[in-house]
Amino acid sequence: SLCAKMAALSGGAPWRRGWLPALQLVRRGSKAVTRHWKAMHFQRQKLMAVTEYLAPRPAIPPRCLTPRKERVEEDSGYMRLLRQQVEEVFRDNRMIAICQYNSMPGEDLVLMRHYLRKYNIEVKFVLNEIVRPVLAQSKYKNLLPLFVARNILLVSPELKAKEMLRVLKGVPQVNLLGACIEDTILSRQGVENFAKLPPLEVSQGQTVGALSLLPSQTSSLLQRGPAHLTALLDEHIRRLQAGGTGTPPEPPPAQSSEGH
Amino acid sequence: KKMASKIRVVLRPVKSIVVRFCPFESNVESTRKFLGCINHKKIQATNRNCEVTADVRHDGSEPLVDVMFADGERLIMKGANLTTIEMLTALGSRCNAKELKEEQRSKKKSP
Repeated sequence: SLCAKMAALSGGAPWRRGWLPALQLVRRGSKAVTRHWKAMHFQRQKLMAVTEYLAPRPAIPPRCLTPRKERVEEDSGYMRLLRQQVEEVFRDNRMIAICQYNSMPGEDLVLMRHYLRKYNIEVKFVLNEIVRPVLAQSKYKNLLPLFVARNILLVSPELKAKEMLRVLKGVPQVNLLGACIEDTILSRQGVENFAKLPPLEVSQGQTVGALSLLPSQTSSLLQRGPAHLTALLDEHIRRLQAGGTGTPPEPPPAQSSEGH
Repeated sequence: KKMASKIRVVLRPVKSIVVRFCPFESNVESTRKFLGCINHKKIQATNRNCEVTADVRHDGSEPLVDVMFADGERLIMKGANLTTIEMLTALGSRCNAKELKEEQRSKKKSP
């Protein structure tokens, strides 16, 4: 039995990584079921090798057959819900800014969210695989190349671009890539220009003033002739009333009197 | 197969990194992922003084990574046809080489 043990040890399977003592007396040694790997009897090893499982080969090799259509994964309800949420976001908000998100410490993130909330801007984390199909079917196809790597969306029903840029300047890990403001796609430069614009009422007033400049000039030009005539007649009447039957004085040139 | 976020780069010999890209182009994916990886807290922790800036343009220029080392050397990687892992390993190997040189120099100074 000693030689049997030595033979079994030397013919042990190469993948066994146990430590076996070099010499073992079987009679006083381990039992059949041990805690360490025990060498199989050589006959048993031979039997196991012979009776190993061989997969049956298919009659036609799979290379010769047309490949099976890959099963299209059905979307779970969760993905559908997320997609609906993204569609809602694009519908309900006037300003949607897309930023690249590089990992930020937690408290910085909470602080940034807090500051943006003050201006009614919400931070939304999005997954590219959800957003891409939604955008491909909507009218925002040109936003598609923006959605690679990690992104976040800053959405707001108002248009507070200046404040948003100010908050983002203090956060170096979030980089503004582009925005969709009032259904207009803007790049980062576009957003900065948009932020520099004066508010709507001021620009409306400026437009109205610029537009009404020419008509007011025209109306004053048109009124100049009759106004001049009226002034002359008034002066004439005054002189007649004041001077009685004196020679009617020449009407004073109104233009030069205005100049003095 | 290595994951890009598992590559550890020691940024000690680096002074600043500028990543320039145009997000509306289609070849910027690897550059953006590179930017995301070097902003990982473990890599940022190796050198707090290293400034990482992202320059977002819209002029159709190709994506670029500009690394300025502390000894004045400059490494420019054009990310249009590079993968993230290639860029990270290139930067990592150069940083390690510089680290070794620094150690040897300091050993020579103080034997």
